[in-house]
Amino acid sequence: MSAAASARGDAQRRIDEQHTSSAKLRLQHIAKRFGVQGVAQTVAVEDFTLDVAPGEFLVIVGPSGCGKTTILNVLAGLEQPSAGRALIDERPIAGPGPERGVMFQDYALFPWQTVWGNVEFGLRHGPAGDGLDAAARSDRARSTIELVGLTGSEQKYPHQLSGGMRQRVALARLIANEPQVLLMDEPLAALDAQTRLILQDELLRIWGQDRSAAERRTVVFITHAIDEAVFLADRVAVMTAHPGRLKAIIDVALPRPRNDATRADPQFQALCQHIWSLIRDEAYRATVA
Amino acid sequence: MSDGTGRIARGLALPVALLVVWQAWGVASASPRTPVPTHIVRAAIDLIGSGDLPLAIAQSLGRVFAGFAVAAVIAIPLGLAMGASRAVERNVDPVVESFRPIAAIAILPLAILWLGTGTPAAVLIVAYAAFFPIVVNTVAGAKRISPTLLRAAATMGLSRFATMRTVIVPGALPAIGVGLRIGMGVAWTAIVAAELAVGAKAGGGGSGGIGAMMFIFYAYSIELNRIVVCMIAVGLVALVLDRGLRAMMRRLMPWSAP
Repeated sequence: MSAAASARGDAQRRIDEQHTSSAKLRLQHIAKRFGVQGVAQTVAVEDFTLDVAPGEFLVIVGPSGCGKTTILNVLAGLEQPSAGRALIDERPIAGPGPERGVMFQDYALFPWQTVWGNVEFGLRHGPAGDGLDAAARSDRARSTIELVGLTGSEQKYPHQLSGGMRQRVALARLIANEPQVLLMDEPLAALDAQTRLILQDELLRIWGQDRSAAERRTVVFITHAIDEAVFLADRVAVMTAHPGRLKAIIDVALPRPRNDATRADPQFQALCQHIWSLIRDEAYRATVA
Repeated sequence: MSDGTGRIARGLALPVALLVVWQAWGVASASPRTPVPTHIVRAAIDLIGSGDLPLAIAQSLGRVFAGFAVAAVIAIPLGLAMGASRAVERNVDPVVESFRPIAAIAILPLAILWLGTGTPAAVLIVAYAAFFPIVVNTVAGAKRISPTLLRAAATMGLSRFATMRTVIVPGALPAIGVGLRIGMGVAWTAIVAAELAVGAKAGGGGSGGIGAMMFIFYAYSIELNRIVVCMIAVGLVALVLDRGLRAMMRRLMPWSAP
């Protein structure tokens, strides 16, 4: 891109920013390519543009390999995009920061810490615990562990836990830090169906569905369970693979607070059907191939 | 006869047979240069009873612990820094790797000329010997830490120092433990060699320690049975040291499954 074109692009971008209301997170024309240019280059994500409003619960769904995790890593500051810009509060995302908590797909629990030690980790060693004394930290850890249903397992080490329990520890660690933005990569995937439904409810409570929109945290949540996406989301971003692109953004206008009745709502079923129709062909192709 | 005792009996058969053959050969040869099992037992009782052997072992152990501590105090922080920082590793690794092939015993002449034939020279040699396995294993341990754990720490906003203390150090601990165990073995090997050589230089074994004691039995009063007692003592002490370190590591790392 020439300097003039680039300057024009910047000017256009400034105009765009003035016209849209402020976003918590912005992804502008994000692309991510791996490998040497031209030679065996893999395009993970191409021209991905999306704003996430403050207090929004955004869910990204899509088939495997569509670059969902790449998008999340860019927002977390763990990966730099090959092109495009990622912003938080209108400032470029230069690296990881404690205001953006991440729940990793492989949990990333510290094997040398107990359940308690893992949940309390960010409070003890990171800025999330600034201004909290030991008693306040313990209270937070205890209540979070209770929330995810791990009371009684505080002194166990991760290798002593099942996959589902580890996932709950990772969830508890994220929640205990109380970040402004929660970036979650398939956080409920390893749970059994019942626990999953319970934690979906809990997640909405933690996010603040009973509070006003201004008091809610901002969530970007990856899943490939469509019903989960519709149940949780304000908006569902549907991605397609090879290369990863944003195919559609679906507004989920179901009333909040959502609960078991929501799942029985015909509108809920219709939305699930609609999203499934958007990714069905690709999902079939991926399965057959 | 139960199955268990049967198995023990079969396991002991060969060692006992070898001892019997050895004893018969020693008695038959009747040379003072042939160690004989029964004489070794008597020599061991003498050396332990007189307090000479316990004293020599205590002296050697003191030097090993001192030298080992010096090595660990330098090697662990250095290894962590090398493992955590490319720049540090690029600068330090060539120096470490070019000294590593130089055996501890090869720096003995320098050690004796600089520090004399006493404890400081022995401690220096032990520290030198133990340094390399500790540093190499610590570097490997610090580098092997899962990148997602470092990412998790970064997303929680941990400072570099906090990440070192709470992620890199505990993550490298199993490898550091291996390095310490190897280092302790090497240290104990080095002390015997160093004391043998220092004992020779000191002429008469004023320097003390198990190695010097062996030198006296070898050079002054040719007593092979006593030398064998010293060899067995060296092996047993090494075993106890290793088991002690292993137990300590297990206590330090309750998370690692046995």
